[in-house]
Amino acid sequence: MVSSIDSSPWGNVGPDSTLALGEGPVRGRLELGVSVRGGRSVASRQFHEGALRVLRPHYLDRSGQLCYVMVNPGGAYLGADLFLIDVEVEAGAELLLTTQSATKVYRTPGSFAEQRMNIRLGEGSRLELMPDQLIAYREASYRQNSHISLHPTSSLVMAEVVTPGWSPDGASFKYEEVRLRNEIWVEDPNGAKLLALDNLLLRPPLNDVTGMGFMEGFSHVGSLVVVDPRVDQALADDLARIAEDFAAYTGVSLTMTIAGSTGLVLRSLSNSTEELNHLLGACTGVLRERWYGQAPLNLRKY
Amino acid sequence: MTSYQLALQQLTDSALPTGAFAHSLGFESYIERGLVRDEGSFGEWLGAFVGQQLVYSDGLALRFLYEGVDVGLLDGVLSAQLLAREVREASLKMGGRLLEIGGEVFPSFELEEYRGLVRAGSAGGHQPLAFGVIARSLGVPFEAALAAYVFATVTSLTQNAVRAIPLGQNAGQRVLRQAHDVVAAAIKDVARLCWDDFGAVSPGLEISQMRHERQRARMFMS
Repeated sequence: MVSSIDSSPWGNVGPDSTLALGEGPVRGRLELGVSVRGGRSVASRQFHEGALRVLRPHYLDRSGQLCYVMVNPGGAYLGADLFLIDVEVEAGAELLLTTQSATKVYRTPGSFAEQRMNIRLGEGSRLELMPDQLIAYREASYRQNSHISLHPTSSLVMAEVVTPGWSPDGASFKYEEVRLRNEIWVEDPNGAKLLALDNLLLRPPLNDVTGMGFMEGFSHVGSLVVVDPRVDQALADDLARIAEDFAAYTGVSLTMTIAGSTGLVLRSLSNSTEELNHLLGACTGVLRERWYGQAPLNLRKY
Repeated sequence: MTSYQLALQQLTDSALPTGAFAHSLGFESYIERGLVRDEGSFGEWLGAFVGQQLVYSDGLALRFLYEGVDVGLLDGVLSAQLLAREVREASLKMGGRLLEIGGEVFPSFELEEYRGLVRAGSAGGHQPLAFGVIARSLGVPFEAALAAYVFATVTSLTQNAVRAIPLGQNAGQRVLRQAHDVVAAAIKDVARLCWDDFGAVSPGLEISQMRHERQRARMFMS
């Protein structure tokens, strides 16, 4: 089944989203489905075309969690490129989805590169979404619009790092715009409800993004979002305590609760990708160990 | 005198008992770090807060409400986008008071409808929406309502800063006068932004609001 990536739970009551308008040609398309067979998660649907592929799915441990690595053979996102990713983790299945390397966005004059991701998590399913960092180069505009819908019993962990980009003169924040917008919906007996709207918008030409209130003098921003029925204040406090051991400037807070499912958001500013990866890794490591008895992720050794 | 002038003044008076005196909306974290410590540094924080957060949350919520977007839908999006718990709770707390006061002094069909959603549990009752529903029912044009709302927020935050930093009363008035430009810019920004900008956050402001939850010595609830 190919679901429509453009479908919106706003229905016809919400205002038009400019992101819903297809601006450029579809440069890459990827569709994945994961389900459970014989106690392990297996690929049940896999389709790709254009400049998006996946490595052969594999297992990193004996937990039965399937790991998919996304690859952009073109190596980078360019102007007007549109990438569509559709992922369904069926009831009880567990997926770790990561990337082979950093997402690089080059110059997109007068336009923007865009990744639209549509994710559905079934009953009791689990997704760890752990992409490499995003690097936006000089004069790059990038929009990442993710729509994630969960069952109240499903578990989502997603981590992301945005770098200040790169330009020939060594100055940072020379990109035009980076927009990472995540909508997280939870199914409720009365229909899907919006649990969290995480909308990170960096537009260096419009305001001084380096100063007070924005990047606070730091260069990198990292985010961790966890949605799971086991999320509670004690967990938020534990992760806040872990963050104290890092020089990064970090905040942790809980979302509201919908149908028994609560979200946790950790946001952090730092001067290095490595430090943010260590912090996010320490936090996800606690979740993996506490909830699944798994070792911390160490993707870089593969 | 316009038909709504006195009503709008009453609604935006800092003596309106919504509990705004109890919220710093994050600047108390900056005081603790020594980054907000005087007139100039508070003015800088205030400019960032209004331009980079209030515009994208409350300001846009007010505009979409005036444009006819369903109040229940906007209420849900506000609850989802205010990721720092204390700021979300502040909006609901002050919104709840405003709904109550409005019900007594500026009753209208639209306000009763919104209060009904809140009573039924299908909406939270956020401050900018409660204000917007009342202002609209009084015939306040959008731009006047937005300017009054943003400046009322600026005023209560400045009064709180005068107590907390502390600043002299005259310094507080100078901050308010300087914020006129910030409010004017905010009104322009609210007009040109779009639905996808709704709820965009500045990481520094948001992190400081989150960290306030764990701050030991504090005089504000947010």
